[in-house]
Amino acid sequence: MELSEYVQKGFQRLADPCSFDSKAFTLLLRAAFQSLLDAQADEAVLDHPDLKHIDPVVLKHCHAAAATYILEAGKQRADKSTLSTFLEDCKFDRERIELFCTEYQSNKNSLEILLGSIGRSLPHITDVSWRLEYQIKTNQLHKMHKPAYLVTLNVENTDSHSQPEISFSCTMEQLQDLVGKLKDASKSLERATQL
Amino acid sequence: MLLDLSEEHKEHLAFLPQVDAAVVAEFGRIAVEFLRRGSNPKIYEGAARKLSVSSETIQHGVEGLTYLLTESSKLMVSELDFQDSVFVLGFSEELNKLLLQLYLDNRKEIRTILSELAPDFPSYHNLEWRLDVQLASRSLRQQIKPSLTLKLHLSQNGEPSTTVLQTDPATLLHLVQQLEQALEEMKTNHCRRVVRNIK
Repeated sequence: MELSEYVQKGFQRLADPCSFDSKAFTLLLRAAFQSLLDAQADEAVLDHPDLKHIDPVVLKHCHAAAATYILEAGKQRADKSTLSTFLEDCKFDRERIELFCTEYQSNKNSLEILLGSIGRSLPHITDVSWRLEYQIKTNQLHKMHKPAYLVTLNVENTDSHSQPEISFSCTMEQLQDLVGKLKDASKSLERATQL
Repeated sequence: MLLDLSEEHKEHLAFLPQVDAAVVAEFGRIAVEFLRRGSNPKIYEGAARKLSVSSETIQHGVEGLTYLLTESSKLMVSELDFQDSVFVLGFSEELNKLLLQLYLDNRKEIRTILSELAPDFPSYHNLEWRLDVQLASRSLRQQIKPSLTLKLHLSQNGEPSTTVLQTDPATLLHLVQQLEQALEEMKTNHCRRVVRNIK
């Protein structure tokens, strides 16, 4: 895990009991996790009375360093021993290492979900709606008398946050073909999960 | 249901008894070909020279025949109604029979062509799928994220198009369930009754 000097310095500062007492350390650590994981978090996350005595520049530096490391660790799926080793190198005492690892563990899942959701992917189908109609006539053709389906796929785009829809019509045979193919896909998915 | 032929239409068709049956049959063939591929005015000129009439007369004759065929096909006119409608034109027995045969032979195809004129959604053509597992991304390593990649082939007005989409296993099962319900609907009593009663 390659971390910049800025981050390493920030962490070393965080380890220092003179800069951050126990309470301040805990608060800063929680603030770092919160600003990463809580969608509603705002800049006021560092505005706690027990952090007021610390120089705001230092506060920001350490907060940024902590957040950066947390993301790196999450990305690399760091385990407890990796975390401990790094924190020891930054001269953290036992107590703070434990605290960090505990906080990390309890936030690990949310962190991984967040990181996993970042990135480009193909338009993603989220839902389907269908309509069955019985076609009687058009102005060009009378006495049609046949059923038809209109299927709409709700699709989500990761980057544009637009929600376009894909609609198409099909006959009963075509829908059977479509359903058949989707069932093949889900069967092969089942088989793959049993390997 | 009888066809309502306008005076102008009857005038155009009045040309037909003046030529032999073989020519009428040929006009019929041209008419259907024009419906399939679009009209080709050069054909009128060739026929006009051979029959010693103006190409406008030929054009009206063919167009009149085309309209007769498309209207009858559109309304799905019965044999009897067709014969009665044509009867008012005062053609010979032989010509009437020829026209009826022309109608019956080409009705299905003409209806297929007419159905393409309706307002249309893209229609389903084919689906290809592929099972993928995402192992890592720039922001997260060591993943096992299964997903299904789909290529949906649609066509609209003869223009094919493809869309590549993706979905996750849970949504896939949901899609299958929903669409199977859609298929089941056709078999319900309600739908059966509607189909039986709308004629």
